[in-house]
Amino acid sequence: MSDPTTIVISDLHKAYGQVQAVAGISQQIDCGQIFGLLGPNGAGKTTLIRLLIGSTKATSGSISVLGLDPIRQKSALRRLIGYMPQTPTLYEDLTAYENIRFFGQAHPIANLADRVREVIEFVGLSERATDQVYKFSGGMKQRVSLACALVHQPQLLFLDEPTSGIDPKLREAFWAHFHQLTADGVTIILSTHQMDEAMNCDQLGVLYQGAFLAADSPRNLLLGSQTKIIVQKGAVREAYQVANTREELPSVLQQYGLDPAVSQIAVEEDTLESVVLGMIQQHEMNHTREAADERCN
Amino acid sequence: MNAVIKRIGSVTGRVLTQLRRDHRFVAISLIFPLVIIYFIKIIFDVMASPFFNISVYVIPYAAFIVHFITFILTAIVLVRERTAGTLTRMFVSGYNQIEIICGYLLAYTVLATVQSLLVLVELNIIFELGYTLSHLVSMFVVMWLLAVISMAIGMLVSNFARNEGQVFPFVPLVILSVILSGIILPVEKLPEWAQVLSYITPLYYANEVLQVLIEGGSLSDDWMLLIALFGYGLLVVAAATFSLRELD
Repeated sequence: MSDPTTIVISDLHKAYGQVQAVAGISQQIDCGQIFGLLGPNGAGKTTLIRLLIGSTKATSGSISVLGLDPIRQKSALRRLIGYMPQTPTLYEDLTAYENIRFFGQAHPIANLADRVREVIEFVGLSERATDQVYKFSGGMKQRVSLACALVHQPQLLFLDEPTSGIDPKLREAFWAHFHQLTADGVTIILSTHQMDEAMNCDQLGVLYQGAFLAADSPRNLLLGSQTKIIVQKGAVREAYQVANTREELPSVLQQYGLDPAVSQIAVEEDTLESVVLGMIQQHEMNHTREAADERCN
Repeated sequence: MNAVIKRIGSVTGRVLTQLRRDHRFVAISLIFPLVIIYFIKIIFDVMASPFFNISVYVIPYAAFIVHFITFILTAIVLVRERTAGTLTRMFVSGYNQIEIICGYLLAYTVLATVQSLLVLVELNIIFELGYTLSHLVSMFVVMWLLAVISMAIGMLVSNFARNEGQVFPFVPLVILSVILSGIILPVEKLPEWAQVLSYITPLYYANEVLQVLIEGGSLSDDWMLLIALFGYGLLVVAAATFSLRELD
């Protein structure tokens, strides 16, 4: 029986020599949702996923995935999880069908051939199933890779930047698949550095320098954002920060609306990107201050 | 146990499908040893006296060529799995060390069987060795066993390499094994410390058994050496399995 809390991470550290790839993460991730790991390149997203699937060992700290230890109980865990690496890691000389079947053969699947066909249909590749993968575009390879991760019907899916390098239309299709999977009860942990798609996640963990700066729903992360009213007066651009747009906008319009020198009045809201960049800047400032304090002491 | 055998079969099946489609790789594996043996024939024709017993040298040389080519190709193929990330994906999908190593070994054994067979047929034809069928079968068994061991050594070495380039520093060790094995000069002529090193090379055991066969003996004449060759193979397969790294 799996733990209702999908993942429990306690004070997790992973160092590669002097480099701290993961620097003290503690987090609980509940089942049945899409949890996004959001952060710039080198933030530690891939390392964290590799720690969770048990393909690298933590320097210190503990992890429980579906109630199992990813290193000590990896055989049991791997029956329950699916993993899609950052690049479509496939056998290019095999067909899409053969690739998916091979990864499926690692698991006791009652009617594997039917299941492979089902998963190929799910990712929309039925007509190319018998083509060798080297003939596929990048996006098609990503779809095969996703199918390989899904073939044994895992409870928990780890997707490392699943939509990197694919066009917006396919990305939309991927997100439709992800939502369908969570509706079927699958939990998805995915990494991304794209803010627009991070908004599709139920929960987000903002990773920077191996640590979570915040972990919350995208809506809650945006609660701390700021709204500005921008008044364009000839070449001059004036910005007014407002706490409540609905209440404050009429007074600004009253003040500037009939002024012939004003060419534009616009409302600008912080995006997830600016919120995350703000968090990173704040983190950097705190870090610099702490370093300076340490030097003084 | 059934599940393990099934998964070994899956790896073997997958590798064989890939081999079937990789014509260049199969051609290199099968044709290169034959071409090299043909050139050895030219060298012997020019340099050796007509009364010289060629078999003593050419059969072990052919065994070494099979040993060397099988070693290099297997090592590179497995390193390629690592660099491509498919090895990690196999592990995360649920395959384990023994399934991967045995699966690979079984698939490449098919290649080694064809390779050893072709080499022996070519030797017998171009050097007109005139051995009986039973002698040729015995030589085939030794050469085939050596090829399988070479694959296992290739896999073992690949576990210590992060990319294809890192396989090449191991090549001098294989070349050194020719000198240590007694193919070029008898092991007794080597310094005593070097004689000890001879026992580490599989080529030593293979050469000793082959020399018995060349002299007209049979596999049962020195069966301890054949057992040693088997044991050597098992040890290397075990070492390759245990050293196959799953974690970073």
